[in-house]
Amino acid sequence: MEIDWSVIPSFLPQLVAGAKVTLTIAFWGLVIGTALGFLVGLMRAYGNRVVNALALVYVELMRGTPIVVQVMFLYFALPILTGIRINPMAAAILSIGVNAGAYIAEIVRGALLSIPRGLSEAGLAMGLPRWKVLVHIVGPLAFRRLIPPLGNQYIVSLKDTSLFIVIGVAELTRTGQEIMASNFRAVEIWTAVGVFYLIMTGVLSLVLRIIEKRMRIL
Amino acid sequence: MSIIEFRKTSKTFGQVTVLDQVDLNIDSGEVVVLIGPSGSGKSTLLRCINGLEQITGGDLVVDGISVKSGNANLRQIRQEAGMVFQQFNLFPQMTALENVAFGPRQVRGLAKAEAEAQALALLDKVGLKERARHFPSELSGGQQQRVAIARALAVRPKVMLFDEPTSALDPELKQEVLNVMRQLAQEGMTMVVVTHEMSFAKQVGTRLIFMEHGKISVDGEPRQMIDNPPSDRLKDFLQHV
Repeated sequence: MEIDWSVIPSFLPQLVAGAKVTLTIAFWGLVIGTALGFLVGLMRAYGNRVVNALALVYVELMRGTPIVVQVMFLYFALPILTGIRINPMAAAILSIGVNAGAYIAEIVRGALLSIPRGLSEAGLAMGLPRWKVLVHIVGPLAFRRLIPPLGNQYIVSLKDTSLFIVIGVAELTRTGQEIMASNFRAVEIWTAVGVFYLIMTGVLSLVLRIIEKRMRIL
Repeated sequence: MSIIEFRKTSKTFGQVTVLDQVDLNIDSGEVVVLIGPSGSGKSTLLRCINGLEQITGGDLVVDGISVKSGNANLRQIRQEAGMVFQQFNLFPQMTALENVAFGPRQVRGLAKAEAEAQALALLDKVGLKERARHFPSELSGGQQQRVAIARALAVRPKVMLFDEPTSALDPELKQEVLNVMRQLAQEGMTMVVVTHEMSFAKQVGTRLIFMEHGKISVDGEPRQMIDNPPSDRLKDFLQHV
């Protein structure tokens, strides 16, 4: 079978629609994941024994199971257990959120703990309350350090959305497969799908590099 | 009235006793120099005064407030007891000026302009007015430590605590820090200094305390103690510093 790149424009609109779904899942999933990650990371770094243990259970549960199993559980098992039925899109966003949240929590914890203790002590020794030390001293320093690993996680999560093919969300990979099923042009389609992912992750990388450059990592 | 009162103060880390029922009164205007072998508890003693280490026995009263009387009171104590660290611990994301203005703004609630004017005056006092806009990474160790002293003074404390302020510095740079400290002592600041600088102890100190095994073993007039050590252990220690 000969390769014919000229077929790509004919299914471009479908791929763009798929890419939009991918971006929507990644965006909202990472909004949830980042919020959750900061909260759980703070719990891990500064919480008392109970709070820390709760956070650790969540992190281990999410890191220790594949994201495909997590989304299957949310989509197929949860309705049976609770009677709450969620649509595939919501299941996908929630999966990215809780999964990325666990990794981001560890990134946040690591960044917070990497700031020398002497700097917190210098703040405390002036008579600052703990939260002000976190907001004005440790937080800004930790934030600079967590940008590179956080960016890494964003890229991983963006690509993880391709796994939601299993619950039938019409994201980019699923779209590629549907087009494939109708015209069998495997080389052209999977190349195009790959390029779409590269464009999305490439833009993300570029943005991160610009942020890193503008912010001195101390 | 004493500004710092140790009352049978103890500090243990697990099984290890670092401070063993210490009784000590420090009056306003004293310049107390703490010396002793490593592990003798001198740094811990200093860090208990502003609650960076929690005491585990007895009591410790600073400016009339017990370190055991809760977080709000502890913050009050910390505003009255400025601290200078061995490793300077300047905030790396802030300029020298911002470092010094930070405390007054956040702790005393001063307006930005007022805090910065005051910070500039303090930097001038430690001889670093020209370096106000520099970041800590652009300053020498001695300059960083002088900024750190200005930062602690900015909160207007009644007592200054120095935890081996010159131990991380080259011999040349030590002097510029010691000079600032000497000037501070002359102005009547109450100071507690953990150091190995015997010449500073002799010239500036009004009282020398030698610590061993978590206890105060000798307490007296610095010149006398250094020239005629009253104990063999102190004599031995002085020969090694």
